[in-house]
Amino acid sequence: MPENGNVERRTILRVAGASAAGLGLTATAGCGGDSDAGDGSVTLRYAWWGGEPRTLAIKKTIALFEKKYPKIRIKPEFTDYAAFWEKFQTQASGGNPPDVFQNAVGFLRKYDKRGVLMDLKTQADAGNLSLENFRNGVLANGQVDGKQLGVPVGANTMALVIDVKAFAKAGVEAKFGWTWDEYFAALQTIQDKLRIAGDTGYFTIMYLYDLYLRQHGKAFFTDTGLGFTEDDLTQWWADGYKRVKSGLVADPKKIEQVSPKSGLSAGLAASEFTWDNFSIRYEGEGESDYGLAPIPTTNGKDTGQYLGSLMLSAFSGTKHPKEAAQFIGFMVHDPEAGRIMGYDRGILATTEQYDAFKPTDPNNKGVAAYEDEVAKAGVLGKITPHPSGADVVEAAFLRIGGEIAQGRTKPADGAKALFGEAEAAFAG
Amino acid sequence: MTLVEESPVHAVRKRSAAPGAGRRGRRQENLAGYLFMSPWIAGFLLLTAGPMIASLYYAFTSYNLFTPPKWVGLDNFTTMFQDPRWQKSVEVTLKYVVVATPLKLLLALGVAMLLAQRRRGQALYRAAFYLPSLIGASVSVGFVWRALFSDDAVVDRTQKIFGIDAGGWIGNPDYVLYALVALSIWQFGAPMVIFLAGLKQVPRELYEAAEMDGAGPVRRFWNITLPMLSPVLFFNVLLESIHAFQVFGSAYVVSDTRCGPADATLVYTCYLYQKGFKESQMGFASAMAWTLVVAVALVTAVLFWSQKKWVHYEEAAK
Repeated sequence: MPENGNVERRTILRVAGASAAGLGLTATAGCGGDSDAGDGSVTLRYAWWGGEPRTLAIKKTIALFEKKYPKIRIKPEFTDYAAFWEKFQTQASGGNPPDVFQNAVGFLRKYDKRGVLMDLKTQADAGNLSLENFRNGVLANGQVDGKQLGVPVGANTMALVIDVKAFAKAGVEAKFGWTWDEYFAALQTIQDKLRIAGDTGYFTIMYLYDLYLRQHGKAFFTDTGLGFTEDDLTQWWADGYKRVKSGLVADPKKIEQVSPKSGLSAGLAASEFTWDNFSIRYEGEGESDYGLAPIPTTNGKDTGQYLGSLMLSAFSGTKHPKEAAQFIGFMVHDPEAGRIMGYDRGILATTEQYDAFKPTDPNNKGVAAYEDEVAKAGVLGKITPHPSGADVVEAAFLRIGGEIAQGRTKPADGAKALFGEAEAAFAG
Repeated sequence: MTLVEESPVHAVRKRSAAPGAGRRGRRQENLAGYLFMSPWIAGFLLLTAGPMIASLYYAFTSYNLFTPPKWVGLDNFTTMFQDPRWQKSVEVTLKYVVVATPLKLLLALGVAMLLAQRRRGQALYRAAFYLPSLIGASVSVGFVWRALFSDDAVVDRTQKIFGIDAGGWIGNPDYVLYALVALSIWQFGAPMVIFLAGLKQVPRELYEAAEMDGAGPVRRFWNITLPMLSPVLFFNVLLESIHAFQVFGSAYVVSDTRCGPADATLVYTCYLYQKGFKESQMGFASAMAWTLVVAVALVTAVLFWSQKKWVHYEEAAK
């Protein structure tokens, strides 16, 4: 401590001055982030979730966009699916979500209710974005109550991914219109002959149960709640658990351990239900050959399938609505951007991009052939936007399904718990 | 002059102060002190105290981050106490605290006693044993743990040598929590260092006298080391249990962010996180947080109360 009071005062003043200057500096730095550069160009934040290949492809399309629109800069933000929505929620609640972001049908009502999503129809009316040339009516996937809250980048549908070698070795075949009984009989043959499980845990997948319900004239979600009964779900989970115990469905302990890798690519089972555009992951992860097979049916015809979509949405409070709309328009219509993206987010949604990309690798070809086949079979239904809280219900479905698979929760108790959690989620 | 001015305390202070620097000087000294502290005070008020008070309010509201919080009174607490997943998270956390804390301290004490003896390279040994507690909390070690305790990995193979065919621990709801316990025990470095310091404080002559009276090593441990070490032990028990109640990172990473399987690693903070950030029930999450604060305070109070019975302070013995 300095002995002299005067020195001390001077020191204090100096320190105070320095901290004030420091504060001033940080304050200026804080402004730098979002404001527009002096040359009239604007910066948009664009966020998505997905794996490495998607990120690399998107970055290429961004470079393409910036070349065409030199006045607009794009700042990319990306992460995996679960982290994406946690981060998004925090940003959005603070009034600071990205200007443009990837979105899905399960989140439209949720964030519309919270006032986060821009109605892109107004931008289309202003001529900043075209809503023409979308294939197979997928544009409707982004509509809620007459508003266009998302613009689809692709179309995907649920599929059964099979280990082609295992199916061939066991001498079983997946054919269009096969029934659940035939499917499980095929799994039984695989189990008997190859000593591996048939499936990785079908009954924990909400989107598959949705198809099953649609085959019975119901659906997982109505506009405001659940479209099935506790008894329906108890039955579905009880059947599933029975098949875990018999070994037809893989041991959940083993599936858990290989996560985030899939049980199918880890060789624990011969098939797995997932979205067709995800099928690319198996080739990378596993050692066998993988192919897309039809969804089993109840009546020998209807699979209950529909075309889902990943889409692009814009923040309702963005400072640059016009530029955000232009960016979305470019990303869904530009042929070159479509060629770069391929079918990573589903079959390209607009005719311009669909015509521009001709798949050459077996994976993309397989996805294209699969969706063609599904479309030709005339089984495609319509999807309604999920109620707010659907994402929480999906997570609960997976979690409780896992508890049932592990034998920790009785199917009836699990169904009751899901209904309780769903009620809270819809209210939130 | 005032009464205060004449007090002996002041006289002492005045002598130590610089000539010419009276009350004004002291005030300036204080001012300087506060100025130097101001970043921390500001940080505490803005980043700790403020949010805490806010969360206390949210605990009595229904709040989804977007719409303004709605006052619901004690609803969050009544829902919480009836919620089976909340009960499960309490059960998992208590199990973790009760198993991990004593084992970790036991190991820390054992190793500290070995390291207290003078030998060549003791600094190296101390550093080596301390190292895990520096890196153990990191995300990458969480991943390593996941790998170690999976099917056909190190742990599985080792247990097979002993004829135990339990498979990997990560996917098994019965065992996975013990993988977390092992991770906690492995980070025994911090309490070990404190034990080491405590051991150095035990007067040599006590041991010498006991040895002369024919006390063996076990007797010396129970009658000298442990009583003399009890204040340090108390400190470690307190710190480690408070720490264990708040475990999050290891459970989150080792379970691949799901705190499973079948909620087997659903520690309290993990459920709090899920409620707040995945299900956007911030009111409920705040209620959970404050319940944890109260519970930890209660545990601390009980420990403080119990120390009268088993903690030996040298001053008191004299």
